[in-house]
Amino acid sequence: MRRFRAFYGAHPAHMLVLVACFGLAGYAVWHASRGPLPVRMAVFFVAAVIVHDLVAYPTYAAVDRLLATVTARREAQSRTAQRVTVVNHVRVPLVISGLLLLVFGSVIVGGGEATYQRASGLDFAPYLLRWLLITIALFLASALVYLWRRSRA
Amino acid sequence: MTRRLVPSQIRKRSSVLSDNVRLYRRTVSTDPGKLNGFPKPLWAWLARHPPPGPFRSHTWRSPLRGPWLTSVFALVLLVGLPVVTVTGLLSYVAYAPQLGTALPTDVGWLHLPIFDWPTRPVWLYRLNQGLHVSLGILLVPVVLAKLWSVIPKLFSWPPARSVAQVVERLSLALLVGSILFEIVTGVLNIQYDYVLGLDFYTAHYYGAWVFIAAFLVHVTLKLPIMVSSLRSRSLRKELRTPLAETRPEPIDIHGLVATDPAPATISRRGLLALVAGGSLAVTAVSLGASLSDNLRGTALLSPRGQSGGDGPNGFPVNKTASTAGIRATDVGPSWRLTLTGAGGPMVLDRAALLAMPQRTAHLPIACVEGWSTTQTWTGVRLADLAAASGVPDPSSARVTSLQIGGLFSEAALTGGQVRDADALLALKVNGVDLSLDHGFPARIIVPALPGVHNTKWVRAIEFRGA
Repeated sequence: MRRFRAFYGAHPAHMLVLVACFGLAGYAVWHASRGPLPVRMAVFFVAAVIVHDLVAYPTYAAVDRLLATVTARREAQSRTAQRVTVVNHVRVPLVISGLLLLVFGSVIVGGGEATYQRASGLDFAPYLLRWLLITIALFLASALVYLWRRSRA
Repeated sequence: MTRRLVPSQIRKRSSVLSDNVRLYRRTVSTDPGKLNGFPKPLWAWLARHPPPGPFRSHTWRSPLRGPWLTSVFALVLLVGLPVVTVTGLLSYVAYAPQLGTALPTDVGWLHLPIFDWPTRPVWLYRLNQGLHVSLGILLVPVVLAKLWSVIPKLFSWPPARSVAQVVERLSLALLVGSILFEIVTGVLNIQYDYVLGLDFYTAHYYGAWVFIAAFLVHVTLKLPIMVSSLRSRSLRKELRTPLAETRPEPIDIHGLVATDPAPATISRRGLLALVAGGSLAVTAVSLGASLSDNLRGTALLSPRGQSGGDGPNGFPVNKTASTAGIRATDVGPSWRLTLTGAGGPMVLDRAALLAMPQRTAHLPIACVEGWSTTQTWTGVRLADLAAASGVPDPSSARVTSLQIGGLFSEAALTGGQVRDADALLALKVNGVDLSLDHGFPARIIVPALPGVHNTKWVRAIEFRGA
C-alpha cells in the first residue's frame, strides 16, 4: 500500500474512482462514435476550456482591474467618495448586462432568426433593442442608488 | 434489510475524515516534496522551475477567493446540477425509448431505468422541462462564479506532483469542458441557433454522460473538502460583514487564497449578491415562457416570449404547416384518417370523426425547450378510435403525419397513453377548428406527452394489440 502511494501519489481508491470516471465518459464517447460527433465534441471541449480560461477570464479580469484602478484614483481626491465607493455601481450593472448578453447573445444578435421563423411563423422580437434598454435601465438604477447613498453619507 | 450506523460508527467515520484532512495539512505544510509520486525527479524539477506570469502565485490577488467561497458556489451546484441532470435524463424516458422514438435511438446502458411515461399529473412533462431549462439557465452565473473562484488552480505550479494528480486534472478538464458544452448546446437550442452544426439531441445527451462521469468523480473526491470548508466560516456572519471589514480567508492548503491579496473592493456578501442577482436576471427574462400564457410576455429575451397571435388559435406554433411541407390539397375535403388495428384498415373523413362522441380537455403542451402553453382541446378519444379499430386494449400506437420527412413525422404512444381518458385526436381548440399551423384537420394531444410527439396533420394511426 505504501509503495503504491509512493508510486501513484494517492490512495488506490482515488485511482479506482478516476478509472470509473474515464470508463463511463469513454463509453459515452464510444457510443456516440457513429457520426462526426466525438471529434466535434472533443474540439469543442478543448476550445471551451481555452476560450474560458485564456480569453474570457483574462478579458473580464482586466476590465475589472481597470475599473477598480480608475475609480480608486478618482476617489482618492474626494472625501465623500471615500465613504461611498462608485466601483460596484458600475460593476453590478456591467456584470448583469454582460451575463444577459452571454446567455441570450444568440437571439440578441439574431442568430437563429431564420430557423425560428420557419418553426413559429413569427419574426424575432427586437431583442437587441430590449437588451440595450435593460442595460440602460440597470445603469440608471445603479446611478440613482449611488446618488442616494452619497446624499446620506 | 436496511443498514444502520450506530452513533459510535458515525463518529468514527467523521473522525477518519477530519484525520485525513489534518494529515494532509501537516504533510503539505512540512514538506511538499513528500507528496511527490513517481517519477520523483520530474516533479521536483518542475517545482523548481515555475514559469512567469499567472504561474506565480502572487499574480492572483483577489482577497475574496478561498475555500469557503468556492464551497458556497459548490453547494449550490451540488443541489442544482443533479436536478438539471435527472430532469434531462427523465425527458429521454418521456420520449419513449422502448418504442424507438427517443433521440438518440440506441444509447446502450446510458439511460435511467426505462418505464412507461405516465399521463398524470397532466403537467408532469411541463414541470420536468420547465425545471430542466429554467434551473439550467439560473445556474449559468453560478457555474461561471465557481470557475472564477478556482481559476488560480489552473495555473498552480507544479502542475502536478504525481500520476494521481495528472489524472485528476484530466478529469477536471472533462468536467469543465462538458459543463460548458452542455450550457452552450442547451442555451443555443432554446434560441433556435444551430451554429455548432451538431445534432442537438445526440450532442446534448452524450455530453451529459461525460458530464455525469466527471461530476460524480469531482463530488466524490472533493465533498470532504467542501464540508470542512463550509464549516470554517459562518454564512450568517459573512452576510453581516461590510466591505470595510472584509478580510481574506486564512491561507489554505488548496492554493485558493491569495498570498499577496489586494484590498477588497467588494464584500463577500456583495459578491454572493451579485451572483444571485445575475441568476435572477437571466431567469427573469426567460422564465415567463415556461410559467403561464399570461406571463409569456415577461420573457423579454426568450424567443418563446411571443404569443403567436390573437384569437382561439393564438398560441405559439412549434412547426408551421409550410415548413412541414403540408399542401392545401392534403388537408382539404379529400383528407381521410386511416385506422389500422384488428382486421382491415378503416377510413374516416372529418365529418365522421365529428359525428363520434366528442371530449373536451384543458391540457398543457410542453416543448423540450422548456416553454409550454395550456389550451382547451376537443376531439375524439384515442381509446374510442382504438376500440373502433378492433383493438380495445392496445399495447402501443403508431401515429403518422402528413408531414414529409423530419424527425417527428411519426410518433409512437404507449398503451397507457392511448387509454387515458383525456388522450385525444383533437379536431378543435378553444371551441373552433384547429388552424392549419396547429395541425388541421386533426392532431394528437396526450397529457404529459413531450410536445413534438403530439403529432399534427395526422394521416394514419395504427393500434397494436398486446
